[in-house]
Amino acid sequence: MVPIFTYRDERKLFAVIGAVIVAALIALVQLDAAKSGKPSIIADAVTSTAFVLQSTVAAVGGAVHGVGAGIAAAPHLAAQNAELREKNRALRSENARLREALALAPEATEIARTTAALPGGIDASTIGYDPENIDREITLDRGSRAGIAADDGVVNEDGVVGRIVTVTPLESTVLLVTDGASKVPAVVQRGRWWGIATGTNGRIRIEYISQDAKLRIGDAVVTGAGRSFRAGLPLGTISRIDHPDGALYQSALLEPAVAFGRISRVIVVPRTSIDDVAPAPRGD
Amino acid sequence: MPVRSDEDIARTRAFWVANRPSESAAPAYVPGAPVWWHAALALIAALVVQASFSQTIAFRGATVSFVTLVVAWYGIRTGTLSGLVFGLIAGACEDALAGSSGVAWTFATGLAGLVAGAFARSWLSDIKAALIAGVAVLSLVRYAAFVVALQMQNRPLAMPETHLHAALWQAALNALVAFLALQFGLEIGGRLAHRR
Repeated sequence: MVPIFTYRDERKLFAVIGAVIVAALIALVQLDAAKSGKPSIIADAVTSTAFVLQSTVAAVGGAVHGVGAGIAAAPHLAAQNAELREKNRALRSENARLREALALAPEATEIARTTAALPGGIDASTIGYDPENIDREITLDRGSRAGIAADDGVVNEDGVVGRIVTVTPLESTVLLVTDGASKVPAVVQRGRWWGIATGTNGRIRIEYISQDAKLRIGDAVVTGAGRSFRAGLPLGTISRIDHPDGALYQSALLEPAVAFGRISRVIVVPRTSIDDVAPAPRGD
Repeated sequence: MPVRSDEDIARTRAFWVANRPSESAAPAYVPGAPVWWHAALALIAALVVQASFSQTIAFRGATVSFVTLVVAWYGIRTGTLSGLVFGLIAGACEDALAGSSGVAWTFATGLAGLVAGAFARSWLSDIKAALIAGVAVLSLVRYAAFVVALQMQNRPLAMPETHLHAALWQAALNALVAFLALQFGLEIGGRLAHRR
């Protein structure tokens, strides 16, 4: 007699049922989280694990960069310290390490100065990016445990970086002001003309400026008082003006104040501290 | 689409291993299902690389989606259901790391796994050109599904032209990496198998 249901068939059936249940669970958990606007359990678990991996990768990347900078500086060091290098190779690597530390010192000083000007600011480092590079986002190594909340502003010593869009216990995600979805109230400093700064996925465009505003190339643009930023933080300088005839408004393209390609340390400014402080003095 | 039996696959695989890969008439690019932890490690590596270096490895605004490649690889070596589950897990991880995409990657990558799985054990899965073209098409399908999922969450993609451009570049980059993997990865794997 031929068995109609074997152990092998049963295992296959259980595997199929299990796969369907897992697929449904993932979909439900994700949808539930999307509806509530909070990170899902999966997101918490993944970001907690990713935090360790990304921090490690970022640290290794930093070390490799440091060694690279040291190697790049080697010819200069060789000219100055040829005799010393000949005697002791170990001293050369030590020297390169010290040079890298020295190169980083101004940035640290600037960050410390900006932190001092922003009471309550939370110092954080960049550890990752949007995996698909679709949104202009960076991941920070601080999350809700450090006091970061959604919509907090993020700045560095040069100006506005972006705002917090997602927070998990150990990490947070910043939507950069260069992203197409970013909208920040902005003011042309010279004439106090208002507009809205939005990203172009690389640079910043200030839109809805009154037609009678006499814009000039090189005009500085700063933040207006808003939800995430207080007034006066640098956004960039005007590099192109679009003043079409018959249009209700004019717009301008900005050269960002922040070098978005090499952001390593930032300060998160909690929304609660925005109203209490005066504008930060510029480092220069 | 006609599906090959286990015996067919075993026979093709034995033929492939017995010959040097470059001389094989039936290359059998997708000989069987991978071990689960191989797939898990590949996914973790893909996620870490993308989350840490996506800006560094970006070309014309697009980055290679190693996650798509891993999902396509797993889907085509297993089947629709396994591909779907693996894609959902991979997408959920991407959503967690991306932050503001909601559930869009979960469903787009799940769909990609499902589509890849539909071609498992079919004649298409043994033709290198079809696999490479399939990766490009799958990348576009996934991107389109992502955009639709974003719209359904009331989060329309800003600057759609820029993103269309990036999607096309991503498809091309993914196909290029798939080509390199099939060309050199299998060559190396085949030689190792031949030695053993």
